[in-house]
Amino acid sequence: MTSALDAEPRPSSASAMDPAPRRTLTSLLLRGSTQAGLFVILVVLWVVFANLAPGFLSKFNLNSLLRSVAVDIVVGFAQMVVLATGGMNLSVGAIGVCAVMFSGYLMQVLGLPIPVAIAGTLALGALLGWLNGFAIVKTGVNSFVVTLASASLFSGGMLILTKAVPLNGLPAEFGAFGKSAVGPAIGSMPAIPSLAVVALAIGLGLYVLFKHSTLGRQILAVGANARAAEMSGIPVDRTIVFVHALSGALAAAAALMLTARLAAAMPAVAGDDWLLPSFLAPVIGGTALSGGIVSVVGTILGALLVSTIRSGLLVLEIGNFWLPLFLGAFLLAAILVERGRAAYVAREQARRA
Amino acid sequence: MGAFFRLQWSGILVGIIAGGIALALSAPAFLSEFNLFVLLRSICVSLLVAYAQMVMLGVGQMNLSVGALGGLVAVVTGGLMDALGVPTLPAIMIGVAAGGAAGFVNGWLTVRTGINGFIVTLATASAFAGINLGITKAVPFYNLPADFVAFGNGRVGLFPLLLIVPLLVTVVLALFFARAVPGRHMLAVGGNAPAAQLSGVSVPRAIISAHVLSGLLAAVAGVLAVAQLGSAQPTIGSDWLLISFAAPIIGGASLAGGAISIVGTLLAVVLIGLIQNAMVLVKVDPYWVQFLLGALILAAVWFNRYRAIKVGEI
Repeated sequence: MTSALDAEPRPSSASAMDPAPRRTLTSLLLRGSTQAGLFVILVVLWVVFANLAPGFLSKFNLNSLLRSVAVDIVVGFAQMVVLATGGMNLSVGAIGVCAVMFSGYLMQVLGLPIPVAIAGTLALGALLGWLNGFAIVKTGVNSFVVTLASASLFSGGMLILTKAVPLNGLPAEFGAFGKSAVGPAIGSMPAIPSLAVVALAIGLGLYVLFKHSTLGRQILAVGANARAAEMSGIPVDRTIVFVHALSGALAAAAALMLTARLAAAMPAVAGDDWLLPSFLAPVIGGTALSGGIVSVVGTILGALLVSTIRSGLLVLEIGNFWLPLFLGAFLLAAILVERGRAAYVAREQARRA
Repeated sequence: MGAFFRLQWSGILVGIIAGGIALALSAPAFLSEFNLFVLLRSICVSLLVAYAQMVMLGVGQMNLSVGALGGLVAVVTGGLMDALGVPTLPAIMIGVAAGGAAGFVNGWLTVRTGINGFIVTLATASAFAGINLGITKAVPFYNLPADFVAFGNGRVGLFPLLLIVPLLVTVVLALFFARAVPGRHMLAVGGNAPAAQLSGVSVPRAIISAHVLSGLLAAVAGVLAVAQLGSAQPTIGSDWLLISFAAPIIGGASLAGGAISIVGTLLAVVLIGLIQNAMVLVKVDPYWVQFLLGALILAAVWFNRYRAIKVGEI
């Protein structure tokens, strides 16, 4: 992705990481961060959908929206951590399906206790991700090519081993967790699904990693300028292997959440379907494809935006078939609006300076 | 031998010959006229799909919407013939033109908005797939003109009639990138965009042209797929992404842009077709194709790198 048109203005990573000095509400709308802009777009969409279709704010719809967005958020995180180094991981979905089937195998066929199965699945995800990182670092080949190939290897291997047969006899507690919720339901607001809590907890962990740890800073430094990072004594290769292992573990976590939500391990649930969401959530949220800039909050908001659009269009009963068209168009529009706002801010700042 | 080893596609050719000999020895059905016809017909669509991506790699961009675009053209062409009763040739021309227009949208969005082409085509892929499903409601168009379907299944000896199209395209593309000014401009932009800009090449125009060309190629692939299947399936194109990248990359194209190999891409498609054919002949689980394709890409990029280091390109 060394495209010449990658015209993304590249602020220094320091300013991109702490974007929130004190501001008034009105100036926040225009001059705030990408995340604030996204938040406004989200609120507007919620108001529009709630007015057009009362069913949008029903307890049932909000509950299902939150449970599905929880998975999308973690899928987005799995891509985000690799984007941070300027690479990409096209095998997020493939690792996801491998993890789905492996968790089913551990719980149903081997009858392992749930915590052991969860640990085993996360370890498998991390291992597959580690293999990606190892191949990228050792061969020096672009991460796009390596993960494109490994996605094919992983999902092909999974299909050869499982014959694409779903596993439906998972422990009841596992499926129950996918449906459970935390806290009381207030009025039409549903209680918060446990899955959403898990996604937020993972987000918190990543926030701490990128904001408050040396390792996180090193990852961003590698993404911003790998040569400079190398010169400053950062182990670039080890950092890249680490983010790929982390990405694999996050993909496995998303797979576990999805398996809990569906209460079954099915081979067709992730794979290619995760490709688009995995990029959209972080990219809409302000994570740069070129690396060095991430936003955990932005990824959460980006995933929320995608799910809101999908859910809203479904509730409006705009034909299920046309959904991908609107999704694609809305997303381009959202990115454009955000770009326009950022450009306006840049012009304003240039005018004042 | 040294000179042969220097060629980027030498490894693929060796692979094809070795694989062919091994197959001929282990599965006698391999050399039967019908099997060779099936093999040749299977590479027609793949070759155009691979070219559609190769063009984008040449200009240093990617087109993730190759499959969705081809699928959209397939149902548009099929729909024109079936639902609207448009004659074969105009229907194909409208379909291919729609593909070019869709490619233009990709290019225009990439250049005008400054959003990374990867993201633009990821989003338009979703949009094209949505239009496809909206038009068809996931139901294929079956009633296609008999002459069109006959062309898709016709053959002279072991050569499918369909093969004419990709061969013609191969020659045109070879001339285009070797001799034509726009083709040279695209490669210049892919090699070094700022340098190309300073030398008076319009970078935006080169990128938009590449997207239009990519759209046209994917569109022709979509039309051929319809002719071959005998119906306009909405699922056409949904499995093109991997092969579109695999073939040019195995063939020696650089993701950084500026370097493509038409012969390499052609040979890579033949090799992939050979592998798929072999899986059928030796009755292996079809899932192995996907697995082997992944392994092949890794092996090819590793080999190319090794070769490049040996001959001192790096």
